[in-house]
Amino acid sequence: MTIRDTSDKATNSVSGRVLSRIRAHSDTLQLFGVLVVLFIFFSVTEDKFLTTRSITSMGFQLPELGVLSLAMMITILTGGIDLSVNATSNMAAVLAGLFMVKFIPKEAGEAQIVLYLGGALLVALLVGWISGTFNGLLIGYVGVPPILATLATMTLYTGISVGLTGGTTVTGFPKQLSVIGAQTLGGIPIPFIVFVALTILTHIFIYHTAFGFKARMLGSNPTASDFSGVNNRSVLLKVYMFSGVLSAVTGILIMGRTMSAAYEYGTTTYVLLAILISVLANIIPGFGRILDVFIAVLILQVLSTGFHMFLAGVRGSSFFKDFAWGVLLILIFIANYFIRGRRYQG
Amino acid sequence: MLNRIVKTREFIVFLILVALSVIVGLINPAFFSISTVFDTLRAAIVYFIMAFGVLPIIISGGIDISFVAIAAVTSFSTHMLLLKLGYEGGTLLYYLIACTMGLLAGLLNGFLVTRFNLPVFNVSLAAFTMWYGFNLFFIGATANFDLPAGTVGYYARFIITARDPFVGKTGLHVSIVYVVLIGLFIWWMLKYTTIGRGIYAMGGNREVAIRSGFNVPFITLVTFAIMGVLSAVAGVTQAFLSRYFNPVIFIGQPLDVLAAIILGGASITGGRGSVIGTALGVLLIQVINRALILTGIPVQWQRLVVGIILIVFTSIPALQERRARRIGHTTEAA
Repeated sequence: MTIRDTSDKATNSVSGRVLSRIRAHSDTLQLFGVLVVLFIFFSVTEDKFLTTRSITSMGFQLPELGVLSLAMMITILTGGIDLSVNATSNMAAVLAGLFMVKFIPKEAGEAQIVLYLGGALLVALLVGWISGTFNGLLIGYVGVPPILATLATMTLYTGISVGLTGGTTVTGFPKQLSVIGAQTLGGIPIPFIVFVALTILTHIFIYHTAFGFKARMLGSNPTASDFSGVNNRSVLLKVYMFSGVLSAVTGILIMGRTMSAAYEYGTTTYVLLAILISVLANIIPGFGRILDVFIAVLILQVLSTGFHMFLAGVRGSSFFKDFAWGVLLILIFIANYFIRGRRYQG
Repeated sequence: MLNRIVKTREFIVFLILVALSVIVGLINPAFFSISTVFDTLRAAIVYFIMAFGVLPIIISGGIDISFVAIAAVTSFSTHMLLLKLGYEGGTLLYYLIACTMGLLAGLLNGFLVTRFNLPVFNVSLAAFTMWYGFNLFFIGATANFDLPAGTVGYYARFIITARDPFVGKTGLHVSIVYVVLIGLFIWWMLKYTTIGRGIYAMGGNREVAIRSGFNVPFITLVTFAIMGVLSAVAGVTQAFLSRYFNPVIFIGQPLDVLAAIILGGASITGGRGSVIGTALGVLLIQVINRALILTGIPVQWQRLVVGIILIVFTSIPALQERRARRIGHTTEAA
């Protein structure tokens, strides 16, 4: 596929510059357009959609999948995939949960509990970091294809969670934990703030560091990056570490919302949805915008909440949502084809 | 000749399979019984069929996960349709209707991929959520156990029966014949037809395949047609073997099937893969599952053990390949 270069002609005038800017961001604008259309559609058809309550509840629901999608997208950017994201977040939550249940003394004071909570969060992040490192070693150093390696570790990490809990749900956490999953800061849900912060952090990481540049180069052509002196193995290792830590954050968010931890939260649906978001955001090895992922997550949530209200009372309405996602994806692909057909040749 | 066989990826998988069987057999002699063989094959039947169905797509360089959804939507909607019509006959009509639907569903994927120049995986992901959603919302959300009179006995129709010292009378299900026929067909198609050679050429280098005169869009459509039809066969077969129709059948398993194919030596980026390797990969995963039950590992730790086994078994061929590459070339592609 060759890209017809329009920038030379266009940058001569101010209007041309604006136009080329718009062209360069047309994917983002298009996704944003879809989001706006859906938002207006549901706001008009559903009275309950454009209320503080429903907006806030969306703000609580979407960050889990959102952060998981970030963890997924950075691995796709390097030409890989991380199927173990959800297993990692559950394992991180289970271990952090067991830490709290086992070690927090019954008569601990407020300050002491907060200290232990901090410890539990550290445990979760550490678990995420270790599992990411293990993925990275398998993929970068042993040379197992990412889809196989992370499928195997998905089973392994889920297996650890099942083994430690015997398949049961871990509960009995101090109520201060719910700050993470159920409180707002200035009217904005805390999970949403975490999601936005991590989106910005990932953006800086991928687009404004030498490491991010290497990661994208590795994604677009591993052989070329190898010959350019990039240590492919170590870049892969770090990417999967980052993915693991982001997954652990998701685990913390789920734990904060449900006040429990189990091996089975999310399971395959979250993994496939995270991939679906990357596909919707048009993330391909070497290329992709973090902002697009952010918008894609919002689109999915608006659709989900919207259809939930739209079909309230209809039996199995949540299944219709799955159907609609599939149809919408296909429509977006086809629209993309026609829009890009004019921009790209071949 | 022997030297060439020993060096193949398929042979490594075969060795791993034998080694695992011996270890499990030493721990529990019950593993070496005719009933274990028959049961393992019976459990593997539908996975063989699905894996053979997606194999051409994988070899041509695409990754598909929609085959499980197509298996579910074709089998379940065929059943609900025939149930409504009061059908009481045998299995043949089920296969005919489901295969026609599967063909259409496969061709829909193929059409989207070829007409709009879309990545196979993206289309399959959309089809995956679309077909499961369609099944659950429009057809029905609960499993159905009312089988037509003509199909009730099908689950126990054996081609061979044997006397087993541990479980008594045991048999090999007749649908293993379909597996063999399908396997032979895919093998023949991949090896001896222009379409088959085109599939490998596409996976090796798409651009070169186009310039060499292969009709790439047509070949793509054929691979999707095969996938659709065989997914339908697998869906209906599984329903008859387990004696109920499930709207979300196989929903958690597309990755397991892909893992079996890749474990069997197919390259995830295309251009490489074989029917024998795929069959061995499917068998290996089934033996792992069976081994856990027979070796007496506590239930709660079984999944952990599967994970460890998978990691070891995916690492061995990867390390082997890495070494071969280092000897053959001076550089390596990550």
